[in-house]
Amino acid sequence: MAFVHKFLNGTYILRKCPKPSVASCPFWGTRFADYCSNSLQKPVAAPGKASSQRKSGGNLEGHQQREVALDITSPGDKPEVIFDKAIKEEIKDHFRRLKNDIVNHWVGPEGHSLHEVLMEQAKVVWQFRGKEDLDKWIVTSDKTIGGRSEVFLKMAKNNQSALLYGTLSSEAPQDGESGRSGYCAMVSKIPRGPFERKRSYDWSQFNTLYLRVRGDGRPWMVNIREDTDIIQRKDQMYSYFMFTRGGPYWQEVKIPFSKFFFSNQGRIRDAQYQLLLDRISSVGFTLADKVDGPFFLEIDFIGVFTDPAHTEEFAYENSPELNPRLFK
Amino acid sequence: MSWAQAILLARGLTRGWGGICSTALTGAPFSQVPPLAPRGLRCSAAAHNPDSSLVPRPPEPPRGPVKALAPHEELFRQAPDGERDKASFVQAVQNFTQYNVHKRGHVDFIYLALRKMREYGVERDLAVYNLLLDIFPKEVFRPRNVFHSIFLHYPRQQECGIAVLEQMENHGVMPNKETEFLLIQIFGRKSYPMLKFVRMKLWFTRFKNINPFPVPRDLPQDPVDLASLALRHMEPDLSARVTIYQMPLSKDSTDAVDPTEPHIVGIQSPDQQAALALHNPARPIFVEGPFSLWLRDKCVYYHILRADLLSPEERRRKALSSPYAWQVPMTRPRWPSGSRACRRPTQPWPRSRWSSACQGPPGSSWRPPQGWRNHPHPHPRARKKRKTISSNSSRARAEPEWSQEHRLWTGVKA
Repeated sequence: MAFVHKFLNGTYILRKCPKPSVASCPFWGTRFADYCSNSLQKPVAAPGKASSQRKSGGNLEGHQQREVALDITSPGDKPEVIFDKAIKEEIKDHFRRLKNDIVNHWVGPEGHSLHEVLMEQAKVVWQFRGKEDLDKWIVTSDKTIGGRSEVFLKMAKNNQSALLYGTLSSEAPQDGESGRSGYCAMVSKIPRGPFERKRSYDWSQFNTLYLRVRGDGRPWMVNIREDTDIIQRKDQMYSYFMFTRGGPYWQEVKIPFSKFFFSNQGRIRDAQYQLLLDRISSVGFTLADKVDGPFFLEIDFIGVFTDPAHTEEFAYENSPELNPRLFK
Repeated sequence: MSWAQAILLARGLTRGWGGICSTALTGAPFSQVPPLAPRGLRCSAAAHNPDSSLVPRPPEPPRGPVKALAPHEELFRQAPDGERDKASFVQAVQNFTQYNVHKRGHVDFIYLALRKMREYGVERDLAVYNLLLDIFPKEVFRPRNVFHSIFLHYPRQQECGIAVLEQMENHGVMPNKETEFLLIQIFGRKSYPMLKFVRMKLWFTRFKNINPFPVPRDLPQDPVDLASLALRHMEPDLSARVTIYQMPLSKDSTDAVDPTEPHIVGIQSPDQQAALALHNPARPIFVEGPFSLWLRDKCVYYHILRADLLSPEERRRKALSSPYAWQVPMTRPRWPSGSRACRRPTQPWPRSRWSSACQGPPGSSWRPPQGWRNHPHPHPRARKKRKTISSNSSRARAEPEWSQEHRLWTGVKA
């Protein structure tokens, strides 16, 4: 992913290289076949995401603006880049990360000493202080199924928070199979290690999710996905609601992990089990409250902490009516 | 067998078999979708009246240059002077049951009625949903032996029942005992609609009161009331006062017919009032806005009045001179990212003012919003709800009030 990023976010031009090195690396070759063009565009993986190049005057009200950034540089200053060199740099970078990884493993989990990790009671996992923090998130809306909602993500005032804004439209797409529509979501990218290996977060020390947000009164849903090693897990997630108050005051939302309910393929399941915190892969926010109109959510940071006053393990018990097999 | 007898036989079979037989008879390809009308039979039976629709037909798609009516849509077409409300909806439903004793085409009728509920404004009325469920013939679709219960007995009807419950779920209507009794009578206890009902009962009760900032279901129609509700919703300080100002009528009498005057509604807590009193007039006060606030499905816009934070020296001087000299000026409370263990956070009170006060690293140009202000424009999307409100009635104006420092009243972080 770093390779992709470096390649696309920088000012590189991809030439249609007939060099054998490209052909001999099918792994990279397949990825860049689509990008052999002279225009520079944001990666397709984040269709709705935009980082505006200009600061808007109206601070939180960006909902009327459609800002899609195209990093198009003038033809004069496009530097020539050698494909091989970029690949070599990327390989070196990955090996460096692998080395750091191995060294860190000797120090302790994730490079911190065991003492620190065990005594840790609060941790900021994502904070929004610059464009590189925005790159860790993917923004989607129901445009992917043919709807009309739009959503954008940009840095808010003074680079102190991120603003997720857009317009929700619950007009169903005319594709013959969708009856309802209208959702916008922001999901964090899965953490990657060297050579783009999937990593996961280990939050077993903590028991509450902490968010510092400023919304506009709309109800959001916070989703947590566990590690997707098993293919059946790709539709499973744990969710809970986040009600924003609206208004100019920052709101601290604390959601204990015991409150998250299990859902598969978008439906709450009868058999509920608590969220296990040792292999968390991503956290996301969804807005789908069936009300058409503009929305915004300003996020300062997202962290996890241990609330010693919270002793509940799981908030939902299974009922014998819905799950007789669990009670045999 | 004469041709008429064949038609009657086909219709009878169609009722029982969901149209499979009819399509087979006409030679049309067998399909899983609801059956198309046996057109061949219809064309030849000259005596057949298209309006009485003895064979259930799926409603035509509404898009298209010629809008074909759904089979029972004429029941929902009422007199031009009639208004669409609960009574006329109930009347239409009762007409269906009255003119159609055997309830032919009830599935299509129920789907149509579900679509029309929003027009008639009854989508949140439980009694109407029970009435719709009442249309189903009772005791017919209950499974009677183990084979019925293994295979989905009367699948279209079960799907229709689930669709009714799903619409109830979408609008947040909680079913009651009457719904349960109807579902048991119609589908039996082991059916999918009953399962969905049990799930609704469980999850609705679990999530009924999880909103820490509840908004009343019936929002006030008057924009001034809505504005004051919005302001009180935003402001955590309960001792804040809402003030409604009245603007003088504008000089131009082009809208002379409109008697309402523009209003400005503002809210200010005593803390903010005191801070404003202490504010140095040499420092500027900023008006920011409009920001949007959603209350259920209505959007209001508001502006705020705020001022900059003092520089650290001034803050220290001020803190020492104030009666709350024991307060330590705080930098922004932040969770340390990564390794350092953090102290356990105490619960500051009041919470939001604590957070709003300590904002921005010193020296940055980020200012905390310190004032409230409101009254916003009615949201343009709310225009359809504004029929009785004229365009002049409320305009957003900035209100000069407002405080600078909340910090004097914030809790100390341990």
